[in-house]
Amino acid sequence: MNEIALAVQNVAVAYGEKPVVTDVNMEFPAHQITALIGASGSGKSTLLRSLNRMNDEIATVTGQINFHGVDINRPETNVYRVRQQIGMVFQQPTPFPMSIYENVIYGLRLRGEKDRTVLDQRVEASLKQAALWEEVKDRLQTSAQALSGGQQQRLCIARTLATQPEIILMDEPTSALDPISTNQIEATLAQLKEQFTIIIVTHNMQQASRISDWTAYFEQGKLVEFKPTDQLFMNPSEQRTADYLSGKFG
Amino acid sequence: MQKAEKQDRLATGLILGLAGIAALIVISLVAYLLITGLPHVSWHFLTSSASAFTSGGGIFDQLFNSFYLVILTLAVAVPLALGAAIYLSEYAPQNGWTNALRLAIEVLSSLPSIVIGLFGYLVFVLRWGLDFSLLAGALALTIINLPLLTRACETALQQVPALQRQAGLGLGMPKWQVTLKIVLPQALPGILTGAILSAGRIFGEAAALIYTAGQSTVNVDYTNWNPFAPTSFLNPMRPAETLAVHIWKVNTEGLIPDAAAVSSGAAAVLILTILIFNLSARGLGNYLARRLRK
Amino acid sequence: MENWHTYLTGASKERQQERRGRWLTSLALLVIGALVVTILLFLIAKGVRLFTTGEGKLTEFFFSPTWAPGAGVFGAAPMIVTSLIVTVVAGLIGLPFALAVALAVTEILPPVAKKLLQPVIELLVGIPSVVYGLVGLTVIVPAVRQLVGGTGFGLVAAVGVLYLMIMPTMTSMAIEALQAVPKQQRQASAGLGATRWQTIHRVVLPAARGGILTAMIFGMARAFGEALAVQMVIGNAAIMPTSLQSSAATLTSVLTTGMGNTIMGTAANDALWALALVLLAMSLLFNLGMRLVTKKG
Ligand SMILES: Nc1ncnc2c1ncn2[C@@H]1O[C@H](COP(=O)(O)OP(=O)(O)O)[C@@H](O)[C@H]1O
Ligand SMILES: [Mg+2]
Repeated sequence: MNEIALAVQNVAVAYGEKPVVTDVNMEFPAHQITALIGASGSGKSTLLRSLNRMNDEIATVTGQINFHGVDINRPETNVYRVRQQIGMVFQQPTPFPMSIYENVIYGLRLRGEKDRTVLDQRVEASLKQAALWEEVKDRLQTSAQALSGGQQQRLCIARTLATQPEIILMDEPTSALDPISTNQIEATLAQLKEQFTIIIVTHNMQQASRISDWTAYFEQGKLVEFKPTDQLFMNPSEQRTADYLSGKFG
Repeated sequence: MQKAEKQDRLATGLILGLAGIAALIVISLVAYLLITGLPHVSWHFLTSSASAFTSGGGIFDQLFNSFYLVILTLAVAVPLALGAAIYLSEYAPQNGWTNALRLAIEVLSSLPSIVIGLFGYLVFVLRWGLDFSLLAGALALTIINLPLLTRACETALQQVPALQRQAGLGLGMPKWQVTLKIVLPQALPGILTGAILSAGRIFGEAAALIYTAGQSTVNVDYTNWNPFAPTSFLNPMRPAETLAVHIWKVNTEGLIPDAAAVSSGAAAVLILTILIFNLSARGLGNYLARRLRK
Repeated sequence: MENWHTYLTGASKERQQERRGRWLTSLALLVIGALVVTILLFLIAKGVRLFTTGEGKLTEFFFSPTWAPGAGVFGAAPMIVTSLIVTVVAGLIGLPFALAVALAVTEILPPVAKKLLQPVIELLVGIPSVVYGLVGLTVIVPAVRQLVGGTGFGLVAAVGVLYLMIMPTMTSMAIEALQAVPKQQRQASAGLGATRWQTIHRVVLPAARGGILTAMIFGMARAFGEALAVQMVIGNAAIMPTSLQSSAATLTSVLTTGMGNTIMGTAANDALWALALVLLAMSLLFNLGMRLVTKKG
């Protein structure tokens, strides 16, 4: 068994009075890609956002989320440091209105890094990891908002990589993109797991089976089944999982 | 069927007729102000001091005072309004306190400027001992402009997409940084537009000033750049009659023989300045928004 | 990272920044809130002094038609009535014109008319009230003198000035109200064979009723609180008006002329602050009315 990057115990999430995720227990293996699948509205995004405290002020999250033996779901947690270690990429690309270069080093700059060579190196390394370097290396100083949607999303991945987190959370990062850009990003992810732990929400089962090592199936806020991807797809142990995979909903 | 069409034609005629009359009134109003005013606007008029009893005076001091008051007021009002707007837009929880504070701003916006002027007289001029001064006037005008400015800033902040904030937070930035570095630059065009429109209002305000900034201008020295010197033109503690107050005063006191000429000239200058404020608010807003998108 | 616990729960620059930012901005908002409370408290405290010192009586203040501060008689009824008359008349005359322009622009004329008119309306909204007062003094007062006789100063001139002053604001708010009515509703009505007037009359106006009413109240509130423009043309005689030509005085005009001529702490001065309190209360009532109308939609 692998090393564990993040362990979730008895986690429940509610928006106001309305419980949306209930009693989730799971361990995310390090340096692997874990996919969260399930029908829309089953609470995948809600759970994902709880993992790096992005649900603060939006929802009530109870239970434990252990990261390096520390429960980060406690009031005394330094959420900024948590998010620096557990980064997030969103469904819609969100480049800031500034140059490509400035976008990539944004997090670093705010942490006080001023050394030009360090910044340059990090920009190049991150863009290479996100498989965007070749396309933009000659126009790093131009506006990031002029890039195509797929390029913008890879830029956002690079921006997260540049802060050197341990874990990257992705919420349907390709659902707003065309098939070619989707392929490029999927190829990128396969490279990234050498260095990072990746947790990705997708409603696309093919995508989950193509890229992930582990898959968790959710239904109505509950974790139904969590297994290595090939086992889950070939040989689900729960009838509900099998129904979902074969397209029989409800 | 026939009847409905007849009615339609009648009503359309009536609406267009009334609208035409309104447009005619308005056009003749603006034309009248410019036609009677502009001939009096000369270089001499703009650059010489007003005279107390004789004709031939200018409006230089009043013009300067108006602009200086705009700057002083915005220097106090913008940070305050922006701070409050940031709190309301980014931090404020949904609770009774927030609603009460929103209500307070709403109440403030409904107070007539003469009432604010009297409050300023009572508190700034008398109680704080600021006397009739630019500073007292600026504080009164700050109060008047806070509601509109706060609303303009809050609207501008709200127009920045929530996704931009999420992205910043996801990088581990505190909300304050996200607000300053990501949200504020994108809201800047809207904030500037609001500030410039406020500037126009400040420029034309008179009722709040007659008992705060005062109705007279002492002799000031335009070469003395030390704002603490009593005669310096930059001294915020000196009484200062603005252009709008001047128009009111020469007409109600009637001490100068050419009151009509002076006030219509001053009114033309006032209108043109406000027109420039309006146009530049629009132009600058558009320009910045376009540059941001590039 | 040896000690994850310290790292993940310890203090950091970000925490400090966040605390400072929240503190700073909430302070700005609290200053504004405190300011409003202070203004209200001060004006109330000053406003009731006339009655608490026993110099004036409430019934006399609200119902006596005689305002003679020198003689110790403080009847504010003339000013209250005058303020209400000029405001209501200006609002009632202004509304049809404002509505006509708004309807012409949104329902009848081609879009280019709106494009041309918008900056003009914006400019008119921005024209300072003393300028409207000046127009009153140089155009309306002489015209009234010609047409009606007398000095020309008085209620008619004040109504004229206020009408000019609030029309642009009312127009621009009426345009907004009409534009908020969804296009589909107009198309649906036209699709059923309604003429333009029938659509306006049965669909657009009812849907925009709340907004139009708000525009009118907003305009009247501005008129009620306007000081200098009115003071310049109304003649400033604090007597109960007997006809539309007569000279009169509003709450604001008496405040404008009186405050500089009385000494703080005297009964005559306290009486002015009592007028200011009435003005304040009326402004709040207008605001309340607007809120009620908006809430009802
Ligand atoms: N901010 C929110 N406030 C209230 N309810 C929400 C919010 N976000 C999501 N929900 C609700 O929570 C449930 C789960 O949503 P979500 O986690 O987005 O599901 P998924 O990502 O699996 O599609 C849905 O019923 C959704 O309506
Ligand atoms: Mg989702």
